[in-house]
Amino acid sequence: MANIVGIDIGTTFSALAVLNAIGKPEIVPNADGERLTPSAIFFDEENSDVIRVGVEAINSRHLNAERSVRWIKRHMGDANYHKNVDGKDWTPVELSALILKKLKQECSAEHGEISDVVISVPAHFDEVRRKATMDAGTMAGLNVIGIVNEPVAAALYYATTREVSGKVLVYDLGGGTFDVTIMNVKGHQMEIVCSQGDHALGGIDFDKEILKMLEQGYKEKFSAELINSDEDRAKYEDEAEDVKKTLSRRKTAKKMLYGSAGNLKVEITREMFEQAISSLIARTDILVEVALEEAGIEPSGIDKVLLVGGSTRIPLVQERLEKTFGFAPETAVNVDECVALGAALHAGLTVLRENPDAVPAGISSGLNDVNLTDVCNHSYGTICAPVDKETGRRVVQNRIILKKNTPLPCEASQMFYTMSKGQTEVEVTITQGEDTAPEYVNKIATHKFELPPDRPAKCPIKVTYSYDVNQRMHCRFQDLESDRVLEVKFSLDKNGEISQSDIRQKAEKLEHLKVE
Amino acid sequence: MGKLLIPGLTEILKTIVTSFFRFVGGSKSPGYGSRLRRDEPALWKVSSNQSAGPSAEPDPNVLNCRVQLTGQEDAFTVEICGSIHATSDMHYTIVQISITDITDGIPQAQPVHSRVEQWQIQDSPVFVYNADLGRLPNHVTTLSDWISVARLGIDWMIFPRKGERKLQFSTSILSRWNGQELACATSTFTYENPAFGYIDLQENSRRTKTLTVALAFAVSAADNKLFDCEVELIKNWARNNIGVSANSRGNRHPAESLKLAQASNETKRELDKALDEAVGFFRDGNQLDTYKICKEIVEIAPLAYRYDALELCLRVAQADGVAAVEELTLLKDLANWLEVDTNRFREMMAKILPAGMHEEKDVEVILGVTSDMSKDKTRKHLNKEYSKWNARVTNTDSEIQTQADDMLKFIAETRSEYIGKS
Repeated sequence: MANIVGIDIGTTFSALAVLNAIGKPEIVPNADGERLTPSAIFFDEENSDVIRVGVEAINSRHLNAERSVRWIKRHMGDANYHKNVDGKDWTPVELSALILKKLKQECSAEHGEISDVVISVPAHFDEVRRKATMDAGTMAGLNVIGIVNEPVAAALYYATTREVSGKVLVYDLGGGTFDVTIMNVKGHQMEIVCSQGDHALGGIDFDKEILKMLEQGYKEKFSAELINSDEDRAKYEDEAEDVKKTLSRRKTAKKMLYGSAGNLKVEITREMFEQAISSLIARTDILVEVALEEAGIEPSGIDKVLLVGGSTRIPLVQERLEKTFGFAPETAVNVDECVALGAALHAGLTVLRENPDAVPAGISSGLNDVNLTDVCNHSYGTICAPVDKETGRRVVQNRIILKKNTPLPCEASQMFYTMSKGQTEVEVTITQGEDTAPEYVNKIATHKFELPPDRPAKCPIKVTYSYDVNQRMHCRFQDLESDRVLEVKFSLDKNGEISQSDIRQKAEKLEHLKVE
Repeated sequence: MGKLLIPGLTEILKTIVTSFFRFVGGSKSPGYGSRLRRDEPALWKVSSNQSAGPSAEPDPNVLNCRVQLTGQEDAFTVEICGSIHATSDMHYTIVQISITDITDGIPQAQPVHSRVEQWQIQDSPVFVYNADLGRLPNHVTTLSDWISVARLGIDWMIFPRKGERKLQFSTSILSRWNGQELACATSTFTYENPAFGYIDLQENSRRTKTLTVALAFAVSAADNKLFDCEVELIKNWARNNIGVSANSRGNRHPAESLKLAQASNETKRELDKALDEAVGFFRDGNQLDTYKICKEIVEIAPLAYRYDALELCLRVAQADGVAAVEELTLLKDLANWLEVDTNRFREMMAKILPAGMHEEKDVEVILGVTSDMSKDKTRKHLNKEYSKWNARVTNTDSEIQTQADDMLKFIAETRSEYIGKS
């Protein structure tokens, strides 16, 4: 039987879940028997065709940091990021593909061929990052049928395994990203109300604060630097992570620092740690408040708070939530695994919707009554040039057409007008972002729309954007007088993504590499 | 340290600017009155002239016109009476009205301009109203009563200057068949114009630009260091905005272009000399009364020009990569004195002078958090700022990304400081 799979490719750890015969998701352990695989890569020094992914990569990083990569998710969609190893520049998409390849091959070894995959992404990921994640899956030889927002996946798993009803706030604080999603749940009926996310807030930021304390303590004692090489940094980054984990269980954590000027035993208390991360915690507080404001709900209107992501184990996080909402957050599901499990459910629902005959009867009946209504993750608009009412000058502006958090499927139209007499074309730009200032939004596609000649100014052009349940966008520009239409096939043509032929070529190259 | 009177600096620039503009702006409004001049003599043209106020009875043998303010005093109503001599019965006619400002006497008369394209002479802003008058029943038609022929909205017009204006309304009855003038009459009317006229606006524009340069120098000198990059930026702005290049004014005769180029070069030299003198003035540690300058700008300049002034000042503060505390304090004052909205100022600041360049971070300037805000208001305000910058953090421009990251950190720190754990 071909398998329907969900993958959580996390900043620090990744996990893969498969739907079993009755439509229940199960985590597939890796070759080492671990349910989570560190999202770490190491390029073997001896054999350039061998790439290590997982625990071995973490350990090797202490010996040769130059040849290792961690936290690649933070760089997804970043056209400027490359990791050069042995003269080859590895992009974030390719590096992510290596992690996915490892997960794929170990699942296939245990369960057989994977037919369809849904990969989870942070709710706040933009189109470029979503496309990059899908490309990574394709490059790893997976049939990626969709993308699901991590908090949605977690909530999906939660709602299908627990009796839930009411307004649920999903608090997803992972290794590198933070999302807050508010949803209405009634049994297996789930309706997303809104999502908010912070792309640079997660466990590694807490680790950095601890690392600063270690470095500072060492410098105060010896007037010397603790870290003198990339390998030192790699080692103490992991030590800092270890201290953080210890402080989630105990009030103090002790570490021995072996620096060039001498050894130092340090003790970090939970209080010191909480003080150091106070501004990061303030950011989580803000995002929760912003999500509540967006949903028009007071904290008292929330019935359950669901924790997702390893960083929610930090006691201060749970205390703050309890203080805000007046009750303890839900910890019944495994915070590290629920995203992958939910992604597998989402994959099942997607196949069921698009190709029901391909879904085995057991899975089909298991998912039959599950219904999920998602929202638009970002605002989408176009660039126009209205006259500023204050100054009377024409200004270039981004006008939002499809607003963030609109329930899917959705469609919205706005009317625009040509600027000058005899105007024979319009440059249409599709933007993603919340600002009116064009420099603050991302231009995700630009096209020329040709118009009939010899016309006066102010001819109307109707712009319609729609977004379907598969998170695909469609844009239509219609010149009302001539009825000419420009349909924009939504393809990303810059900023780090690659063409389909490139993906195929790179997939073939990856095929020959040995990922262990 | 001396205190330079504003005119001291500005007069240096103004003198040059005035002579410069006198030269390049020497051509009078083209086409003024050209449509009213008729080559063909009007055989039966008989005209009259009336002034506002108590006047003699209209002469029934000629065309008479009078003007009144009507409605909410938002329109001039033009009425005519008397005789019109046409070339035949049932002659099809139109009425044409033009307005001249003769406040300074006929030799210095200035046309009234039209805001509405429909009432402009082609390729010129000069106001001319045209409307069908219909067929005149007889060869000689006599209107025994005053009849209204036009209601001219005052908001269609731009007068030369603000204040009491003496306006001469010229009403012509033209043949629709050949444009021949059949009769004409003039009437003067005194009107109190509350808005700046187009000549005022031109002068104000020049004056504002000069004052803008003065403010920019004041910002540059605020930290007692006039960096070369700042000075160069101000000079370039002055050259681009106060100077006019010789070839920027359309096709000219080569001799005229040469003459203009020479004059332009002379102007540039004089402008540069004035700017150098201004630099010297500030390098000597002198100061300007920036409040007075802003006050004058507010009086004479529209909002767009005030934004331009503030934008230049922000660019000057940004030029050396670090905005000193004194510069930031002055910028904050300038925004206030120029009556620029706080949020608009912060938007401009975020684009031109990001917080990362500020020598000291001021939560009011950067985030808009003021001391009179309650904790709850501060919290909500910071949440809004956070949402704004959080949406910018994945921008494809790495500089904006870094700025957004810095702002998110600063917002979180501010929240910890102002709101605490509550």
